[in-house]
Amino acid sequence: MKARAALQGIAGILLFLALWQAAVLSGIARYEYLPAPSAIFGALVSLAQSPAAYGETAHTIAAALIGWAIALAIGLTLGTALGLSPRVRRYTLASVEILRPLPAVALVPVALLLFGFSIETELFVIVIPTIWPILVNTMGGIASVPERLREVARAFRLSPFAAAVRIFIPAAAPAVLVGCRLSMTIALVLAIVAEMIGNPEGLGYAVVREAQALQPELMFAYVFVTGILGILLNAVLVALAKALLPGEFRRPSVAWDRPR
Amino acid sequence: MTPVTIFNLDRVSLSLPVRDGVRRILEDVSFSLAEGEILTVCGASGTGKTSLLRILAGLTRPTSGLAEFRGRPIDGPQDGVALVFQDYSNALLQWRTVARNVSLGIEGRMNGQAAAELVGDALRLVGLEHNADDYPWQLSGGMQQRVQIARALALKPSVLLMDEPFAALDAMTKAALQDELLKVKQQTAESIVFITHDIEEAVYLGNRVAVLRGKPGVIARLIGVGLPFPRNQVTTRELPEFLRLRRAVHDAIGGDA
Repeated sequence: MKARAALQGIAGILLFLALWQAAVLSGIARYEYLPAPSAIFGALVSLAQSPAAYGETAHTIAAALIGWAIALAIGLTLGTALGLSPRVRRYTLASVEILRPLPAVALVPVALLLFGFSIETELFVIVIPTIWPILVNTMGGIASVPERLREVARAFRLSPFAAAVRIFIPAAAPAVLVGCRLSMTIALVLAIVAEMIGNPEGLGYAVVREAQALQPELMFAYVFVTGILGILLNAVLVALAKALLPGEFRRPSVAWDRPR
Repeated sequence: MTPVTIFNLDRVSLSLPVRDGVRRILEDVSFSLAEGEILTVCGASGTGKTSLLRILAGLTRPTSGLAEFRGRPIDGPQDGVALVFQDYSNALLQWRTVARNVSLGIEGRMNGQAAAELVGDALRLVGLEHNADDYPWQLSGGMQQRVQIARALALKPSVLLMDEPFAALDAMTKAALQDELLKVKQQTAESIVFITHDIEEAVYLGNRVAVLRGKPGVIARLIGVGLPFPRNQVTTRELPEFLRLRRAVHDAIGGDA
C-alpha cells in the first residue's frame, strides 16, 4: 500500500516535469528566463560538483538549525513557565499576543540597523518569529492537561517539580512536537529570506545572485536545493521524535505525525 | 480495645458556587471509619457521593463541619491515603508503562531497588506481574483499573478511597475485581471507602453501607453488614441476610435507583 502510494506520488511529479519540459520546448510557455527541467537538472549536476554550493548549503543549514535551537531553548522555557503558572500567564500573555502577529520580514530592517549585513542579523531574523509556535504550543499543551491528571498529581502528593516532570511536560509532548515542527519550517524560510536581504551568504543569497546574473538554470537549481532541504530537515525531526516520544504517542491511532 | 479511628466526619456540609448562587451538595454528614473497615457509600446520581470522597481525599474542603483523618483536620491530600478514580484511562499516564505508572507515587521517595520491589509486590497483588512493560492502552478496561489499584497499593496506604472503580466495567470483570479487592484487603488490611451506585456491590463488599439520599445529600441510613467472610459471588448473594440487606439499602435509597 505504502510503496504503491509512493509510486503514484512519483508518477505525478514526473508527469508535471514532462508537461513543463514539453511546454518550454514547444514554445507554448514563452518566458525568456524559464528553463526546461532538463536544463535545471544539468545545473544541479554542476552544483553537485561545486564546493562553493556545498558551503552555501552548509551555511543555510547551520543558520537555520542554530536559530531554531536558540528559539527552542527560549520557547520551551517560556512556554513551560506560562503553561504551568496561570499568574505568569496573566502578566505575559498580552505581550506575547502583541508581538506574535508581527510579520517576520518586518524584522529585517530592524536587524540590519542593529547588526549590519552579518550572521547576527540572520539569526535575529530567524529566532524571534521561530519562538512563537514553540512557545504557544508548549503553553497550550501544558495548560490543557486534563483536570483528572492534575488531581492525580495532587492526590499522589507530587511536588510541583515532580508534577511538571512526570505529568505536565510528557502529557504536553505531542503539542510541543507540533510546535517544534512548525518552527523548523519557519526557521528555514527565514534563514533564506535573511540571506536574500540581510546577510549575503548561503542559499538565499545564491538564489538572488544567480537571478541577477541572469542564470535561470542555476537559480532554479538553488531553489530546488532549498526545497529538498526543507523535506530532509522535517524527516530528520520526525524520525527523532519517533525515537524520543513517550510510549502512548507511538500508538497507531495517535496521528501526531500526520502533516498539519 | 477500641479500634483506631481513621476518618471522622462531624456534621460536614458542602456547598459549591454555581452560576446563580451556591448549590448545596452535602448536608450534615457524620460518620467515622474504623481501621480495617470497608465502608461502602451507596446512592443515586447527584447525591454527593463523589464529593464526599473528595473531602476524605483532601481534594475538596467542606464548607462547614469537621473532617478529620487520624484525629487531625484534613487540609489536603494526606500521607497514607490512596485514591482510585473511576475513569482509569484518564487517570493513568498513558505514555508510561504499567510498572512506571505504579511507581508514580513512590519514585524519588526511596531508592530504585526498594521502589522496584514495591512495584513488583503491587503488581503481583492484582495479578499483573506479566504486564509490567505494557502500556495502559494495550490493556483491557479491567486490567487498566487493576493498574490504578496497584498504583494506589504501591503507596502502602492505610486507606484506599475508591470512586465507583468498577462502574465502567462489564458484569463478569466487575465480579472478578470485587473478589480480588476483598482478597487484597485481606492481605494488606487497609481500610477502604468504596463509592458505588450498585446496591448489590455495596452490600457484597461492605462491613457497613452508608446510604446517601436527596439533594443536598444526607446520610439516610448506616447499615451494618453481618455477612461472613470470605464472601462468594454465588453463595453469599443467595443468603437470606444478603437479600434482606439489599432490600434495606434499596428502601433507604428511596425507590428505583
